[in-house]
Amino acid sequence: MTVDRLLLETADRAFTDTCTHAAIQAAERDGWAPAIWDTAAGIGLPWIGVPDAAGGAGGTVSDGVAVLGVAGRHAAPIPLAETGLLAGWLLASARLPIGSGPGTVVPGRAEDDLRLAGGRLHGTAHRVAWARAAERIVALVDDKVVAVVPSAARIEPVANLAGEPRDTVVFDGVAVDEVADAPPGIDGDALLFRGALTRAGLMAGALLAMSELTVEYTSERRQFGQAVGRFQAVQVHLVRCAEEAALVDLAVQVAAREADRGDARFEIASAKLLADDAARVATRAAHQAHGAIGMTQEYALHHLSRRLWAWRAEYGDRTWPERLGRAVIDAGPDALYRVIAEGSASGIRT
Amino acid sequence: MRFVATELTDDERALQREVREFLDVELAHGYYEPGLGMASGASKALSRKLGERGWLGMALPREYGGGERSVVERFVVVEELLRRGAPLEHHWTADRQSGPVINRFGSEELKRRFLPLVCRGELTFSIGMSEPDAGSDLASVSCRAVKVDGGYELSGTKIWTSNAHLADYAIVLCRTSDAEDRHAGLSQLIVDLHSPGVTVNPIPFLDGTEDFNEVVFEGVVVPADLLLGAEGQGWAQNTSELSFERAGPERWISPYLVVEHFLREYGDDLGPEAARFLGDSVARWWAIRQVSLTVARMIDEGRSPSVESALGKDLGTQFEQEVMARIQTLVDVEPSLVSSSAFQRLLARAVLVAPSWTVRGGTNEILRSVIARGLR
Repeated sequence: MTVDRLLLETADRAFTDTCTHAAIQAAERDGWAPAIWDTAAGIGLPWIGVPDAAGGAGGTVSDGVAVLGVAGRHAAPIPLAETGLLAGWLLASARLPIGSGPGTVVPGRAEDDLRLAGGRLHGTAHRVAWARAAERIVALVDDKVVAVVPSAARIEPVANLAGEPRDTVVFDGVAVDEVADAPPGIDGDALLFRGALTRAGLMAGALLAMSELTVEYTSERRQFGQAVGRFQAVQVHLVRCAEEAALVDLAVQVAAREADRGDARFEIASAKLLADDAARVATRAAHQAHGAIGMTQEYALHHLSRRLWAWRAEYGDRTWPERLGRAVIDAGPDALYRVIAEGSASGIRT
Repeated sequence: MRFVATELTDDERALQREVREFLDVELAHGYYEPGLGMASGASKALSRKLGERGWLGMALPREYGGGERSVVERFVVVEELLRRGAPLEHHWTADRQSGPVINRFGSEELKRRFLPLVCRGELTFSIGMSEPDAGSDLASVSCRAVKVDGGYELSGTKIWTSNAHLADYAIVLCRTSDAEDRHAGLSQLIVDLHSPGVTVNPIPFLDGTEDFNEVVFEGVVVPADLLLGAEGQGWAQNTSELSFERAGPERWISPYLVVEHFLREYGDDLGPEAARFLGDSVARWWAIRQVSLTVARMIDEGRSPSVESALGKDLGTQFEQEVMARIQTLVDVEPSLVSSSAFQRLLARAVLVAPSWTVRGGTNEILRSVIARGLR
């Protein structure tokens, strides 16, 4: 499952051009970045990993996750994961049209209370990414995939720690735009894993960028007559950052590869768990190596570190260690090594 | 730094099955006391059987008894041995380091003489690098070999030499000239540890077990044909010997059996904290194994992943110690080497040896400097 390199180079160029420091700051202020979206949509990036036949841009899940890595690297403030790999995936699975504008998905949190009655949607959905800018909101309600037009709902703007929109959406008997039965295997738990895979993909990119930024800064910043990156105590932080980034990046590659093949629940849970760990450990090291400049809005580190803190809390957060651990306990001691070596293929039920 | 994901091929999986079937019989449960990683004891019989199967000196050329197999194939074999705590110290150093370095730098005559024995599991090697005043700063070694008729006369002291009391030979890094550049005057000699003038003094490990030694050379005559590679090239050869194999399974697998037996003995009654420990540990184990496998694949592709190896070792050995730190918070038992519980015996051994994991094979502090340089 080799990822299309040309695609990634194209994505990298597009985000390098559009995701400037000023543009990311503006997106946080305005809640939407139309120029960045238009560029990405113009070359099909939001729909990579959604089959051609369903109206997507084709490519594998690995391609889609790799594009998210590039987006995470540039802190791209658009609903890239939501439009294709999440909303597009749900719609395609239920044979519904996926549309051409920005889409988003209801993550399905415990505090939500969505229900269908007489073809209308009732209840409140929380933490819906960019609901205010989306052309359609897709949700799993009562074993059905449902799509609604946001203008028919009441949207209360909320943002995550990185200033990305995570809106509360109130559906007060809203007529649904599209509805179809969710096929077997498409349920809230499958969405949790799929969401975790997208977040881990974004986080892998952000971690790599954070590691590189930290190496760059500490090789330029001089104190006591030398670059601070030459101090062994600082090098410990650089290495910590690089290790966590490399580990998460590799875990995400394997998780996406297995998702293209079938059951990837162990790999996805592990990748998200490791990304969440890295969001604690690597951001601390990166900030320490930067010193005061890292705490300012004018310097780019916070575009990455705040996103890592925010994404860590999305799609599972700290539920993963215990869930994975329970699965390991259920698999038993005789299966333990196979789990470590073979992941989902060992038969572990994560 | 990025790693490109890899996985075992069908042929590599077939080898894995073959090794598993062999070891299921050979190391039947209860037949031996499993050890931890590289500190697992020695068994000449097992080493010879592995040699018969073609699982020692795997990457060495066929003409010297090797299998011309890949680093990944060796990874598969070593992983299976280590995760069962098999006694592999008899052949470990010869198979992992001495054989490959002789193959890479040795003369035709040296290869013919040593490699077939390495492949048959008949030779035990030690590593003659550290000295009382040369640890991480290996370039400051002071063991000295002076040219004499027919060879060299070696004098000096090596220290922390694992298994020298059992070994046949040591590859000794020593000074053969006083070049201005302190890296330049170094050479590697293959020294017969049974030669006159060699004294092996055990340095009991902190738990009283035998592993470490001081090896004193007093005018030991080393025939000229036991010079490994070129005179003055010892530093470069030594560095290459150290760099590639750093991220192997032995760098992350050491406490595996402790966890397996934890699950065996307490698995029916584990609370949320233990579940979180297992989830965190297994996820990281799985990912670090992927790193390790990727590094092996890179070597097979002809690349020189020395920075990647160092990163793998730092990640793996820190993880090993983290596992040990956390597992002790989960059960209220006193680790004991003589307990009737396998978990407690393994736990006791692991607690005692765990500090060595981030020290041996290059301290993690030095490795981090290597990595940091590689990141720039």
